[in-house]
Amino acid sequence: MKMEAKGLHVDRVTKRFGSEDTEVVAVREVSLSVEPGEVVLIMGPSGSGKTTLLLMLGGLLKPTEGTIRIDGVELSALSESKLPDIRLRHFGFIFQDFNLLSALNVLDNVSIAAELAGVTRREARRRAAALLGELGLGRRLRFSPEKLSGGEKQRVAIARALVNDPALILADEPTANLDSSHGHETMRLLREIAKGRGRAVVIVSHDQRIRDIADRVLWLEDGQFKEAVTMAVDPVCGMTIEAGGPMAVYEGVTYHFCAEGCRRDFEENPGRFAGPSVPPAAVTNVT
Amino acid sequence: MFRLAIANLVQNKTRFAVSVGGVGLALTLVLFFGAVFAGAQSRLTVYIDRAGADVWVSQQGVRTMHMSESALPAAVAEDVKSIPGVEEVVPVLYTEGVIEANGKDYIVYVFGVPAGAPLGGPERVTEGAPEPGPGEIVIDHAVASEAGISVGDEVMALGQPMTVAGLTSGTSTLVSSVSFVRFEDFAAARGEGQVISFVLVKVKPGESPVTVARVIEAQAGDVTAQTRQEFASEERKLVQDMSADIISIMNTAGYVTGLAVIVLTIYIATVARRREYGVLKALGVRNGRLFQIVFVQAFLTVVIGLVFGLGLTLALSVVIPEFNELIVLSISTGSLLQVSAISVLLAGAAALLPARQLAGLEPVAIIRRG
Repeated sequence: MKMEAKGLHVDRVTKRFGSEDTEVVAVREVSLSVEPGEVVLIMGPSGSGKTTLLLMLGGLLKPTEGTIRIDGVELSALSESKLPDIRLRHFGFIFQDFNLLSALNVLDNVSIAAELAGVTRREARRRAAALLGELGLGRRLRFSPEKLSGGEKQRVAIARALVNDPALILADEPTANLDSSHGHETMRLLREIAKGRGRAVVIVSHDQRIRDIADRVLWLEDGQFKEAVTMAVDPVCGMTIEAGGPMAVYEGVTYHFCAEGCRRDFEENPGRFAGPSVPPAAVTNVT
Repeated sequence: MFRLAIANLVQNKTRFAVSVGGVGLALTLVLFFGAVFAGAQSRLTVYIDRAGADVWVSQQGVRTMHMSESALPAAVAEDVKSIPGVEEVVPVLYTEGVIEANGKDYIVYVFGVPAGAPLGGPERVTEGAPEPGPGEIVIDHAVASEAGISVGDEVMALGQPMTVAGLTSGTSTLVSSVSFVRFEDFAAARGEGQVISFVLVKVKPGESPVTVARVIEAQAGDVTAQTRQEFASEERKLVQDMSADIISIMNTAGYVTGLAVIVLTIYIATVARRREYGVLKALGVRNGRLFQIVFVQAFLTVVIGLVFGLGLTLALSVVIPEFNELIVLSISTGSLLQVSAISVLLAGAAALLPARQLAGLEPVAIIRRG
């Protein structure tokens, strides 16, 4: 195991399925670094290779080529037998369907992950209770998962993902089954995990709202990251949008809008919307 | 993992109850038939055990009462009596026959015993005379109850009418019971006064029945002499051999039913939680730990089922004789250990199929492909 810098470092990773005529390249020479405290959102159309990439990042699939390092540990060099332990200790998984264990209560759903990593039952339960308390579930410890709302279930899943103090949180469509308010709550939590706890967070999602909390948004298409995505805030409605739509220039500054209606409103009274409080367009890079 | 296994097992209480009940009933089947057989077997040698004889002398080569016939010259009794170490001898006549009462036939083992004999006569007489007089018979009270007769009533035995003089207890089984008549009546009915079936021997205090039996065989000539234990053991072995196939089929049916119930239960429980097990694998749980879950579930199902089955069998062993005295259930430690050991093996076998399912489970499959 070669020790390197903290965080996730992916170097020219390729994943092929099948061979010769039936070969499919799901991910092609992807490179990526995610530092502790950073939230990276990977978007892309269905079949673009997002989940394949996520599975490789989580040690659930081995890349055909390239290397993946987490906190200096090279995943791609590890044997299959060593990956389960790495997954338990270095990764926290958050799934679309929460995937809680229905037979266990909230506390046990979280503490079992710590126990599996070798923590004593008592300490595991202490850690789990503390985490759940921080996530606002202190009064739900003995509840069965089926008695929780979608947002609460996702918070339990987040607590489970955090209980072993992992370096990297991998979230697969974490807001897909949540309503708007619970979706926002989950997004806020994911950002807090990155910023407050110093974890690297990688999210795969179709949910445009997650752009609001992402430090970087990467667009994966045909197994490759495409051009940089330019993000901007519509000065009229305040929505975070992808640049490229309606735009206007006022006093030398380019403003982007979600729709023509906002642009017209802006042009009728630009002084009302433009100003120092309006953030300029944010631009993200692919690596 | 133990906690998760138990939680998974009992989460659906109805399914858990049905599983344990199914396993319990299947094992009850095994325990019940074993207990009925053991009970019948214990009654089978009740006469040998209670007759008071230390040594049984029979025709040479005849080692059992069932499936054989012993015919000895009456003079053998006197020959045996003169052998050192012998204290008492009693010649008895024996046959398998029927008594007819109220139009129904009841299979009986009929013993003809001399009046006032110190060995071989009726034991545990609950009602009436302690031994039959001329033209009288002593029968088991369970048969009397079944036939609706009592002391003083008349039955047909050995082809002639006889009066019920007394009732004994504890000699009846599902298929037969023990009856006693006067030696002379038996001989007269048979038409042969100089032939006896067995000589019952009581040895002098301090003498070894084994040694005396060997001396009898050496000195009396053309006889087989066995201690009570040897004779009873041969008798049980014969019946066991005769019933072995039936008992094996019954036991196999019970075990197979139990196995099927456990396999189905654990398999269905595993498949129903396939996704959860996939999540555990994705989190980093190894196959070995998942196997522990299914083995613990199978083991607990079997153990609880076994306790349930044992409880039910014990209850039946108390209740059934209250309604039918002919059925005696006897649960031996040996049979209990055997059923327990086989049940544990069943649990292991039942867990194999679900474990195989888990081994082949790909955690990747639980995360949708994008």
